[in-house]
Amino acid sequence: MPTIEPLPHAMSSQIIGLLEALHDRGGRDDIYKLAKELNLELGDLMAAIRGGELFEFATTPGGDVELTDLGKKLLRARTPGKKKLFLAQMKKVPLFIQLQQLLEQAPGKRLDKERVLEELTKWLPDEDTAQQFETAINWARYAELFGYDQDTGDCYLPEE
Amino acid sequence: MLFELNKIILAYPKPQGRVMVFKELDLTIDEKEFVAIVGPSGCGKSTLLRIIGGLILPTAGRVLYNGVPQHGVNSECAMVFQSFALFPWFTVRENVELALEAMGVNGRGRRTRAESYIDRVGLGGSEDAYPRELSGGMKQRAGLARALAVEPKVLLMDEPFSALDALTTIALREEVLRIWEDKEFSVQTVIMVTHIIEEAVELADRVVVLSSRPGRIVDDLRIDLPRPRDKRQQPFIEYVDRIFSKLA
Repeated sequence: MPTIEPLPHAMSSQIIGLLEALHDRGGRDDIYKLAKELNLELGDLMAAIRGGELFEFATTPGGDVELTDLGKKLLRARTPGKKKLFLAQMKKVPLFIQLQQLLEQAPGKRLDKERVLEELTKWLPDEDTAQQFETAINWARYAELFGYDQDTGDCYLPEE
Repeated sequence: MLFELNKIILAYPKPQGRVMVFKELDLTIDEKEFVAIVGPSGCGKSTLLRIIGGLILPTAGRVLYNGVPQHGVNSECAMVFQSFALFPWFTVRENVELALEAMGVNGRGRRTRAESYIDRVGLGGSEDAYPRELSGGMKQRAGLARALAVEPKVLLMDEPFSALDALTTIALREEVLRIWEDKEFSVQTVIMVTHIIEEAVELADRVVVLSSRPGRIVDDLRIDLPRPRDKRQQPFIEYVDRIFSKLA
């Protein structure tokens, strides 16, 4: 099983916002300067940058953050295209690979939230599991990888 | 001319006398414009937006829409609120459907139309989520889907990004511009209230600057810059400076 890394706590719209901000600045900027200009806590900006890196939309050469070609492609795409690119990249992330497999094997392709939280705790014992869950659901809903029904407390794979 | 506001007076009675919000305010807005209304806190800019949409009737004066006097809520306008104004006990889909139900859209068509607009603002996959489960950006996307689903010609936005973090704001500003420019959406005209001058210059064709109460127009500025606009370029800074100088 590939190593499961924690997800940076940044929402999908924050990652896209970061890419838009970089695009407005010619595709690359100094991280510290960007935080100052956008009046952002460095930690919040770093979470979005790490999200961008995880999906290969951005890289961080020498204290800067730079759009990749894939990041530029994402910005050019309309909403459905953006979601497709997000989905393709998410499917390479070990945490989502594992979650998707669990859901595939679950009866009715549905899993109780508690079970998902248990798995997250097993994979990432030092992390804030609730926060990991929140981020995973935000990204999964955006990319339509899987859904979460608060009424039943189930995560579920969308119908084919 | 899409909107014509003639000598708008708005006054509220108060125990110690009358509060004059607007005193003979005149404003015209053309079709296909993106207009930002800025002004100091409490100057009445959000109230002006509601007068334009027919949600508040002025004490005196009149609002013409396409040359016809407006006497109540303008059904060709939809509003996006700072606080999202979603019903917390309804899902995203139900919130959007409710707006359609109010318009008399019923049956399967209502659900299909709600889902189509939820999808088009990038919220597909979150149809069954409750507002409390959503990030601020997603809540405002839901607010946008609800407004767009009624297929308005005019989108009224009251500080639509001020409850959002900086990165989400950047993403949503782009989204709003895309919606305004995209012929697939019914929206032709956008009127946005904001207290952030850079935001007004970044997005709008025209910035209307209101004075402190009683609100009057102290500047009406056409922003003649190509999009996307670079905030660090001198012409952009000059527009911002000019607006600040009018507010000072």
